[in-house]
Amino acid sequence: MTRGSFIVSLLRAFGEEYEDIFSRGLENGWLEYEDKLYSNEPIARKNAARIIHMFLLKEKGIIDLPSIHDAEVLRDLYDCRVCANHVAQVYLRGIMDAKDLSAGGGFLWFDLDGEDDQTVIEEYIRRAVETVKNAKI
Amino acid sequence: MEGPAEINDKRLRFDSFDSENAKVFPDKKQRLPAMGWNSWNAFGSGNTEALTKEMILKIKELELFRFGYQYVVLDDGCYRPERVNDRLESDPVKFPSGFKAMADTVHSAGLKFGMYNDIGTKLCSGAEVGIYKHEKIDCEDYINWDIDFIKVDNCYYMWDNATFSNTGNAMYSYAPNIRSVCISGQTYSAAKDALITGSRAVVKDDYVTFIGTFDGTAPDHTPVGLRSSELIFEVDIDEPGYYEMTVSYATGKEEGVGSWLQIAVEDEIVFDEMLPSTPAPEDFTDSDVIKLKLFSGTNRIRLMNHRRQENTLHSYSEVRKELEHFAQGRDIVFSICEWGKTQPQNWGHIVGDSWRILNDITFQVGCDGNRGTAAWENDYTTSITSQYNKAVIMDEFAGLDKGWNDPDMLVIGMDGINDTMCTSHMAMWCMMNSPLMLGLDLRRVNKGDAIYNIIANEDLISLDQDALGVQAKRIFTTYSCDDPATAYIRDNNRADVLAKPLSNGDIALAFFNLSTEDNSEKITVPVDLILDSIGSKMDKSFKDCFANASSYRLKELISKECSKTLSGSFSVDSLEACGCKVFRITPVL
Repeated sequence: MTRGSFIVSLLRAFGEEYEDIFSRGLENGWLEYEDKLYSNEPIARKNAARIIHMFLLKEKGIIDLPSIHDAEVLRDLYDCRVCANHVAQVYLRGIMDAKDLSAGGGFLWFDLDGEDDQTVIEEYIRRAVETVKNAKI
Repeated sequence: MEGPAEINDKRLRFDSFDSENAKVFPDKKQRLPAMGWNSWNAFGSGNTEALTKEMILKIKELELFRFGYQYVVLDDGCYRPERVNDRLESDPVKFPSGFKAMADTVHSAGLKFGMYNDIGTKLCSGAEVGIYKHEKIDCEDYINWDIDFIKVDNCYYMWDNATFSNTGNAMYSYAPNIRSVCISGQTYSAAKDALITGSRAVVKDDYVTFIGTFDGTAPDHTPVGLRSSELIFEVDIDEPGYYEMTVSYATGKEEGVGSWLQIAVEDEIVFDEMLPSTPAPEDFTDSDVIKLKLFSGTNRIRLMNHRRQENTLHSYSEVRKELEHFAQGRDIVFSICEWGKTQPQNWGHIVGDSWRILNDITFQVGCDGNRGTAAWENDYTTSITSQYNKAVIMDEFAGLDKGWNDPDMLVIGMDGINDTMCTSHMAMWCMMNSPLMLGLDLRRVNKGDAIYNIIANEDLISLDQDALGVQAKRIFTTYSCDDPATAYIRDNNRADVLAKPLSNGDIALAFFNLSTEDNSEKITVPVDLILDSIGSKMDKSFKDCFANASSYRLKELISKECSKTLSGSFSVDSLEACGCKVFRITPVL
């Protein structure tokens, strides 16, 4: 899925207008200029995490979990310092899953530069919607 | 094949790191730690021109410049994510007026302008505008934009495998596994016949591995002492001349085993390049013949790889060289941000004004409307005490003639820490002569409020900015250890005492309770201990004056309480959890 399609899918899932989305997302600080520049390129997991996290924070008022300590089970959490909080927040909220690279379990990896197929991404978006719904209850 | 640059300047070599005669940048000024505001902790990648202008207004309104806060630094997230005609541009949405206009705004407010880049191919944000191979044009642009400060990061660095880089780059930063060398028909075993310096390399089976330098990004290792290892063969030679040597080696691309080998006879490097790959790290082969010029007597033949440090120093030097070229004397602070990865305490003084000592103090940075979160303690680098515990034993690496250890930007004002923690954080950084870069949204600060009183504590700042320029030394700790000045202690269930000589003959003495529990134990420090620990950093007359004083005037720099003592020791009866007391002590004859 491309970045552009991901952003449109996210907004559709929340029932929001997606016309002129880049201008609004950039203005409101939950999209980066690179999202517009690379809108036709496949979306990496770290960017999906960032967009979901910042959309929930900026547009839906979902404040950050205070501690990301429990996300340190992800071996690559600190491999990208600008991604760490985005990844931790969506992982700890159960929106995006980690990958377990060991047969016996326990080697958890977020796979920052990896890409997910459409079904998986749609599930993450569904969970993002659920997160907001549950926060309102 | 592309690889690290040749390093022809011996002054950038490991053997020259401690040499006082090898000034690569003779114009590098002696300066006190930089003070200012940096966008990262407050706004992360979300900083904008509008927000920066608001911060400038608040710096003026709060008169923070009066205390020394003068640099306004745009961190990561401010660039267009790819170059235009090979040149850097500002993010068109966040900084629509461009960097020169931003610089003009900063300068017109009487402040100084700082920017950010990275010695790798990309910035940490992923923007493909790293300075690598663009040193000349980028520095030309930085000077045209009138920068006064540059922070240079280390993400996506090509020649190192550790943190934020490709793990396969270990081929450059570690030597191959070495099993033996053969010199003129005689074989010397690496495991049995060679000397291993330092504690990085180890013997495994019949070979030696991990010949390289510790990664200092995480808090696992002490910064004190030799942080790398060499394998040294002492070879006795009767007849001086050229000898042939082969090396039995096996290469890899993982932490501890690489492909790049350096060989020196004494201090003369005779080989510095990549060896052909072997199928696996335990699949040994013999190198081609390497000719060595040996002299009669015992020759120390050193097999090593110091490229982790040398490459990084070289890359930073390339940036500084171009900056100086275009700057034409313009004064620019050079802030090295490689997170302690390559032990910059050994080489940072050659090129930089300060060097980060660990990975970030927080990864939970804020954005507009969100303060971000910091911590007092945790297991990784992301806490005040994680940074302090390492920086506090690094005083011997810092100084006016070198530069400053940088335990990262201040997290005062972020969520997750209370006012007591913030006060101790400020006091720690001031005692340790750290750069003081505010990292909060200044719009929430008002004159006289709690945060203001911490960041505008002139008495504490005067310690950081004292003209003598000596980082405090830890002279006592309640934790059991051989030497409080150098012991790397990560157990925070303790209190520390730091002492720091000042330019007028006063001494600053700080008591820190690292624990999250109150400390009711009385801690007493005698004058003798203070002078034994830091007396060598004092003018003799000041030292004598302090030793022979009939009494001492004390000012506690947070409560502002003044007192006087006739005794030859200084005490605190208790310290609150995460709290501190900092005294400025004046001898009275």
